[in-house]
Amino acid sequence: MTITEDAPATTGAIVATGVARSFGDVRAVEDATLAVRRGEVTALIGPNGCGKTTLMLMLSGLLRPHAGTITVAGADPRTDAAAVRAAIGWMPDQLGSWDNLTCLQTLTLVGEAYRIPRATARDRGAALLERVHLSEFADRPARVLSRGQKQRLSLARALVHDPAVLLLDEPANGLDPRSRVDLRVLVRQLAAEGKAVLISSHVLAELDEMVDEAVFMSKGRTLGDQATAMVADARLKYRIDALDPAALHAALTAGNVDFEITDTGAVTRIADESNAAQALAWLIGQGVAVHRFGPVGSALEQTYMAMNEERR
Amino acid sequence: MTTQAPETASAPLPDVPVSPPPRTGNPWLPTPHGVSLVARIELRRRRPSAKGYVLYGILFAVVIAICLAAAVFAPAQLSSTNFEIVLVMVLGVGMLIAPSLSATSINGDSSEGVLAPLQMTHLTAGDIAFGKLLASWTVSVVALVALSPFLIYTFLTSGWTVVEMLVTVAAVLFVVLAFTAVGLAWSSIAARAVASVSLAHLTTGFFVIGTLIAFGIASLLVTDESPQRDQWIDWDSMTPEAQSALDNAYQTGDFSELDPDDYACVDSDWAYTVTHTDRIAWVLLVNPVVMISETAPIVDPETWEEDGRAAPGVFAGIHSLVSGARLGPEESVDEHVGFDECEQLARDIELAQMSGEEREAMWAEESAEWEDDWIEQQQEQANLDRAPWLGLGVVAALFAGSMWIVVNRLRVPYKNLRSGTRVA
Repeated sequence: MTITEDAPATTGAIVATGVARSFGDVRAVEDATLAVRRGEVTALIGPNGCGKTTLMLMLSGLLRPHAGTITVAGADPRTDAAAVRAAIGWMPDQLGSWDNLTCLQTLTLVGEAYRIPRATARDRGAALLERVHLSEFADRPARVLSRGQKQRLSLARALVHDPAVLLLDEPANGLDPRSRVDLRVLVRQLAAEGKAVLISSHVLAELDEMVDEAVFMSKGRTLGDQATAMVADARLKYRIDALDPAALHAALTAGNVDFEITDTGAVTRIADESNAAQALAWLIGQGVAVHRFGPVGSALEQTYMAMNEERR
Repeated sequence: MTTQAPETASAPLPDVPVSPPPRTGNPWLPTPHGVSLVARIELRRRRPSAKGYVLYGILFAVVIAICLAAAVFAPAQLSSTNFEIVLVMVLGVGMLIAPSLSATSINGDSSEGVLAPLQMTHLTAGDIAFGKLLASWTVSVVALVALSPFLIYTFLTSGWTVVEMLVTVAAVLFVVLAFTAVGLAWSSIAARAVASVSLAHLTTGFFVIGTLIAFGIASLLVTDESPQRDQWIDWDSMTPEAQSALDNAYQTGDFSELDPDDYACVDSDWAYTVTHTDRIAWVLLVNPVVMISETAPIVDPETWEEDGRAAPGVFAGIHSLVSGARLGPEESVDEHVGFDECEQLARDIELAQMSGEEREAMWAEESAEWEDDWIEQQQEQANLDRAPWLGLGVVAALFAGSMWIVVNRLRVPYKNLRSGTRVA
């Protein structure tokens, strides 16, 4: 993770505090607080309609918040929204493309809109198309692209001006498995280049491998420390399945280990990988016939589900 | 949680470093670079499809056919009517097509999801607004250029000077520009394209047809009425002999046998009205078609041949009609003198005493007087100073107001959204 340029590592590229916005009677975002650091990927997770897109619009300088403060790349969208927009690469959740224009023309014209000289913008566009694996479509009109390809063009468009901050709204929607892996790699690369990335998605398993931090949102509110603690806790959970669950339970109880009983075995908390190796060796040493041993699964998904449980 | 997946260490990335200049300057004023870039994007995006070219081809063919017919059937002498028809055609095509295009250009982009990505760039609200305006307006300029052979051909026989032609063509293009801006404004206000297109055409219709209807209705309000008394021969009180003598006289036109004393008159009361069109003529001057004909040269109905002009054409006709309204009625209510049939009869009897030559000389004198009056009135109307300024002012206000609305609605961050829409 390289922290580039003048910004100190502690300063978030995006800092939002107590942001609120309503549309008429509908309070889309009630109280959102988050920080995204340079060189890190932060996930914004929440159910449909919880205000993720509205929050992203406010962060991007397109929508004025009714309350709260926002700083993006050192600028305040209230006073200098243009500087905020210039620092941001925004990939909207709504797919839009200029159907009659080719992919390369699209990127060149967007580059020119950022006042990049035409020749440079064209070269940059060609390089970005290669980066999102759309080179073969460079000279074909955007209307022939499939949904996933348009999604990738949209991502390339967000990168045209080499922004310091990326806001990606549901970038994995409609992508095939190969493209999702490519997206994950690309996002990690961008973070490694020192960009701050805020990404929202429903494909939580995908996010697990991509993000450094996660911000959960529910009913217009970000769930701060509580959700972070839940994610941290979820990451510790290991599932142990044995041929004879009763024997496993007995061994764990004898070893004075906290655990939750499941149908096929138990779930317990293990701090790290070397501890896990020791625990497995110990269990086998106790004569328990362990046939499955591993992390429970997506920590984000567990937290998300637990959150939804609470809402019921 | 971050797994350094093996894919990360793949081949070096293709990358072209860019360093866009910092975003500076006024956040909403249009800039030449931005306006031309947006116009270029719009024109490329809206390049017609094959079907579109067929439609435009048919439209163009119809217009050419009308122009050709006008040229073929036109008399050999100077005639400005054909030229004026071509101008009206350009105006019509421009006022129909350009607002249709502009009226879908903002809410359409928004629902397609291509507006917000543009707003995220260095382009200002003014860049986007004026770029879109320019692109839609260019279509009508293209229509004008496409028709230019006919415009030039008909201009050569129109008796107009080059400067007069340029002034009126400029007025036509300005009107089209203003109504294109109106379409754009509706497009920035209404959420759905159907609504904004119909509102744009309703606005055009209001100014072209609505002003005429408003003038008609308003004329009721400026009509003065006063009781008048006419005198009519009383048929009931006269003797049967006198009655048949009068009948006979009316049929033959020979009044010499009648005695004025046989006939008495009775009063007849009625309401006399005068419409003061001069008070409401400004409603007509607001009409953009009237405004354009007011920029056309004045043609004197009597001296046009000596002046090297064509006979008064469509625009001169409109100018005369509007001038008639601007001048208003010749007399006021109080000046009206009632009709007295008994007096008329007495004159007819007196005339019957005269010799034929005397009578004819008198008639000739009277009709010459009438004709002079009429010619004088026609000339006064035709030569009244042109009054395009009010119309121009209204069109300019429409243009400025519309663009002000559009730029304001495009400024981000949005304070409010069109109801029922998302940012995109």
